[in-house]
Amino acid sequence: MPRAPLPEFSSSVRLKYVKLGYQHLVDNFVTFLSIPVMVAVGLELVRRGPQEIVGLWRALELDVIHILCSVFVIIFVATVYFMSRPRPVYLVEYACFKPPSNCRVPFSTFMEHTRLINSDEKSVQFQMRILERSGLGEETCLPPANHYIPPHPTMEASRAEAQLVIFSAIDDLIRKTGLKPKDIDILVVNCSLFSPTPSLSAMIINKYKLRSNIRSFNLSGMGCSAGLISIDLARDLLQVHPGSNALVISTEIITPNFYAGNQRAMLLPNCLFRMGAAAILLSNRRRDAGRAKYRLVHVVRTHKGADDRAYRCVYEEEDAEGHTGISLSKDLMAIAGEALKSNITTIGPLVLPMSEQLLFFLTLVARKLINPKRKPYIPDFKKAFEHLCIHAGGRAVIDELQKNLELSAEHVEASRMTLHRFGNTSSSSLWYELNYIESKGRMRRGDRVWQIGFGSGFKCNSAVWKCMRTVKTPIDGPWSECIHRYPVHIPEVVKL
Amino acid sequence: MGVEQEKTVIYDHRISTVVPATVTGNAVLHELTNMDLIMKLHYLRAVYYFNQSEITDGITIADLKNPMFLWLNICYPMAGRIRRAESGRPLIKCNDCGLRIIEARCRRTLGEWLDVESSSSSRWRLLVPDKVLGPDLQFSPMVYMQFTRFKCGGMAIGYSWAHVLGDPMSATNCINLWGELFSGNPPPKTLQLNNHQKKAESAATHVKVSPKPIPVNQVELIGDGWLAPNTRKMATNSFRITETKLKKMQPEQLKQVPTFVIISAMIWKCLAKIRKSRESKMATICRYLTLAKCSKILNNMLKTSTVRLDSSAANFGLLELATLICKQEADESKSVEELVDIENGKPDFVLYGANLTFVDMEGINLYGLELKGQKPVQVDYSIDGVGDEGAVLVLQGPQRTNETSSNQERLVMVILPEDEIQQLCELLSSEFGIAQDLKINHKLSVTNM
Repeated sequence: MPRAPLPEFSSSVRLKYVKLGYQHLVDNFVTFLSIPVMVAVGLELVRRGPQEIVGLWRALELDVIHILCSVFVIIFVATVYFMSRPRPVYLVEYACFKPPSNCRVPFSTFMEHTRLINSDEKSVQFQMRILERSGLGEETCLPPANHYIPPHPTMEASRAEAQLVIFSAIDDLIRKTGLKPKDIDILVVNCSLFSPTPSLSAMIINKYKLRSNIRSFNLSGMGCSAGLISIDLARDLLQVHPGSNALVISTEIITPNFYAGNQRAMLLPNCLFRMGAAAILLSNRRRDAGRAKYRLVHVVRTHKGADDRAYRCVYEEEDAEGHTGISLSKDLMAIAGEALKSNITTIGPLVLPMSEQLLFFLTLVARKLINPKRKPYIPDFKKAFEHLCIHAGGRAVIDELQKNLELSAEHVEASRMTLHRFGNTSSSSLWYELNYIESKGRMRRGDRVWQIGFGSGFKCNSAVWKCMRTVKTPIDGPWSECIHRYPVHIPEVVKL
Repeated sequence: MGVEQEKTVIYDHRISTVVPATVTGNAVLHELTNMDLIMKLHYLRAVYYFNQSEITDGITIADLKNPMFLWLNICYPMAGRIRRAESGRPLIKCNDCGLRIIEARCRRTLGEWLDVESSSSSRWRLLVPDKVLGPDLQFSPMVYMQFTRFKCGGMAIGYSWAHVLGDPMSATNCINLWGELFSGNPPPKTLQLNNHQKKAESAATHVKVSPKPIPVNQVELIGDGWLAPNTRKMATNSFRITETKLKKMQPEQLKQVPTFVIISAMIWKCLAKIRKSRESKMATICRYLTLAKCSKILNNMLKTSTVRLDSSAANFGLLELATLICKQEADESKSVEELVDIENGKPDFVLYGANLTFVDMEGINLYGLELKGQKPVQVDYSIDGVGDEGAVLVLQGPQRTNETSSNQERLVMVILPEDEIQQLCELLSSEFGIAQDLKINHKLSVTNM
C-alpha cells in the first residue's frame, strides 16, 4: 500500500530547514573550514607539550636581524595594504525640500486645468485616465508658474523655483549639521532639464558665498538617475582629495517643462512630475565617522545607450505642432527590466551572500549544459538588503520591479508612499524614500540600503549604503507632518 | 468711448487657481438646502476699490494669494464643485478644486475710473468676472476673484460669488475673513464650518401650501448653464443718498420707519410713474438673517416678504407708501422654501426680479474688507441673474467718520431694464434731488490709517 503523501505543511517546513541549513553552511564556509583546522593544530600543540615547542623555536636559529627584517616586512605590507584601500565615504546627513502648501495641486484642480488648456477632448480623457491610475495623492505640488491657465514658464520663474527648492534644502541641511558654507570643498549639482547660465552650482556658490577654490560640477541632461551619478562623482573626488567634504544637490525644475501639446506619449510627464529637491553632505574625514548616518559601500552604474531602442526610449523632441516634450516609448518597461537585469548581474556578486551566488551559478550551469528550459534562478536580494529605495518613476515601474525581484509590499512601501505624497520628483525621489524609512523608525545600525535609479539614456544606477547609527524618531523632514497617516491604501483606480 | 476701446481698457489677464492648504477629505459633501437651490440662478458681483498707498503699492500677487490657502481651509465649500446626487438634487462636492484668480491691469488711473460717466454706469463689469455655473457644472468655480491694478497705483478687487453657496452676508463675511488673514490677524479660534441640517428641513416640507407664493418665478433653463434668460436687456446704475437727504426724507413722525423702507418707497413711486400700466402693484422685500461677523456660516437665510397694493404706487405719497409697506409686509419665506422638491431639487426659480425686489443690504459690512488697515474707498455691488421686473439694492455708503451706521449715507444700486434707467435718473433728480453716483471725491481719506 503506497504511503499517503506527506501533508504540504510539514514538507514545506522540512524544505525550509534544509534551505536554512544550506545557507548557513555556504555563507560561513570559511569559518566552518577553519574550525577543524584550528582544533587539529590546538590538539597537536597540547600533545607535544611546551618544552618541545621551545626546542622547535631554538632550532630555527633566528637572530636579531632576521627578526627585525621580518617585523619591518610585515609592517611594510600592512601599511601598503591599508593605504591602498579606498577611503570610506560617509553620508553625514541629508535634507529634502518640503513643498509649501501654497503649491498644492489636488486631482480635481489638475483635471480642470487640463480641460481648460487642452482643446483636444481625447488627450484630456487620456490624462484623466493616467491620473486615476497614477498612484499620486492629493498633496503633490507644482511650482507657482504651473498654477496658471495656461502655465506661465519664464526664465525668471524657473530660477525662482530653483532658488526656492534648492536653498530650502540647503538651509535645512545647514541647520541640521552646523555645516559652515566656507567649509564645503566639493559641490555637485544635478538637474536634468533646466540648465541656465550661470549654472545652478554657480547660483549656490553665489548665495552661500562658498570658497573660491571650491570644486564645483553641474550635471545636466542626465535624467532621473542622475542623483546616483552625482554621488558616484562625489565619491571619486573624495578618493582623490583627503580630508574633504562634498555637498551634492539633486533636483528637477518643473517650470520650463510643461508640455502644451496633445501627443499622448508626451503627456505622461505633465501628470507625474512634481517639485522636489535633496541636499546631501558626504565626507571622507575620519572625525565625521562618528556622527555619519551611512557609509557608501558600492555604486554600480549601467548604461544601455549602446542599444538604439534603449537610447530612444525616453526622448525629448518637438511634436508636429512645435511643442517640446519628452516622449516615452511603449517598450519603456521592457527596457527598464533589461537595464535592471544588467545592473543586478554586476551588483549581485558584490552584495549577495555566498549561498545565493552558488545557487545562481549552479542554476546557470544547469541551464547552459543540461536543460535550457529550466527557469532561471532569481537571487533573493532581500537577503542582501534590509531596505529598498526604488525610484518612484511611476506606478508601473514599481509594480514591474516588485514582480521581477519578487519583493513584498513592505519592501516597496517607501517607493509607493513617496509617489503618493510627493509625486515623481525625479532624481531626489530616492532621498524622500530613505527619509520615509527613517521617519517610520525602521532604520537600525548595520542595515543595508539599496537605492535603484532609472533614467533616460537608458541608465540603471544602484547605490548601496550601510547604516552607521540607528536613526531615532521623530525626525525633522518632509514627512514629519504626515507620517502618522502613512502607509495609506492606494486604490487601483481613484475616482475623480 | 467706443465699445472697442472699452474692451481693451482692461488688459493682460492672467488666470490661475488657488486651492485649500490641506486635504479636505475624501468625499466630503456640502448639502444644499431648499433656499440655496432657490437662489442658484443668482450671482453676486462686488468690486472693492482701494486707493493708491504704500500698502497697495507693495502688494504682490503672492501676498494676495498666500492667505487664501488657509482661508479656503476654513471655508472649504467655496473650493468645491457642483455635483448631482443620484436623485438629481444638486450638492457641493468639497474636492478642493479651488477658486479662480484673475490678474489684470487697467489703462486708466483709479481716479479716472471712478469718474466715468457712462450711460449704463456698469463700470464694475470689467473688473469682476461675469461667469456663471455651467454648462459644465462639474468644472465651474463658484467663486472668482479679480485683482486689477490701475495705472499709477491703486487696486480693484472683484469678487464674484454664486448665490447658491450663500447670501451676501455670508459672502461678505467670507471675504472680510480673507482681509483679516491678509492683514496678519490670526484665524478664528474655532475653524469648524457650521453645516446646516438638511435632513431636519426635509421632514417639515412635505405639506405644500395651495396658493402659489409670489416672490419667485419658475423658469425653464435652456441647456445646462445656471442663468435664467431675460426678455429685456438689463443694466445697472447707482445713486448716492447723502445723510442730509436722509434727514430731510425722514421727518419726526416717521422716525420708526426704517431708512430702507423710505428709500424703497421712493424708488417704487418713481418706477410706478415710469412703468404706468405695466406696473404690477406688487413688490418683494428681501432681508438677510445671517449674522454679521459670523464667518463660520455659509448659507442662504433670507426673509422674503411681499407687499401688495390696491392701486399703483405712484398714487401714494412717499410717507404714506412707506407706512403701508411696513404694515402690509407678508412673510412668505416658509412657503417659498416648500416649493422645491426634496428629491431632485427642481424646479428652477428666480427670486430677485420675479417681482420688483427691494433688497436690504444695509447690515452688510462691505467696508469691513481691510488690507492691513486700509479700507476700500468705494464698493460697487450688483446681482446677476435678476429677472425682468428688476431689483433695488440698498447698501452702506463709505464711512466718512467713525460714527455708527445710522447716520451714514446710503448707496442705492438699481438693476433694471435699460430703458427705464435713464427715466429713473431724471425722476429721482427732479423730484427728490438725488444725483447719480458720479464724481466722487475719491481722495477723501476714508478711515485710512
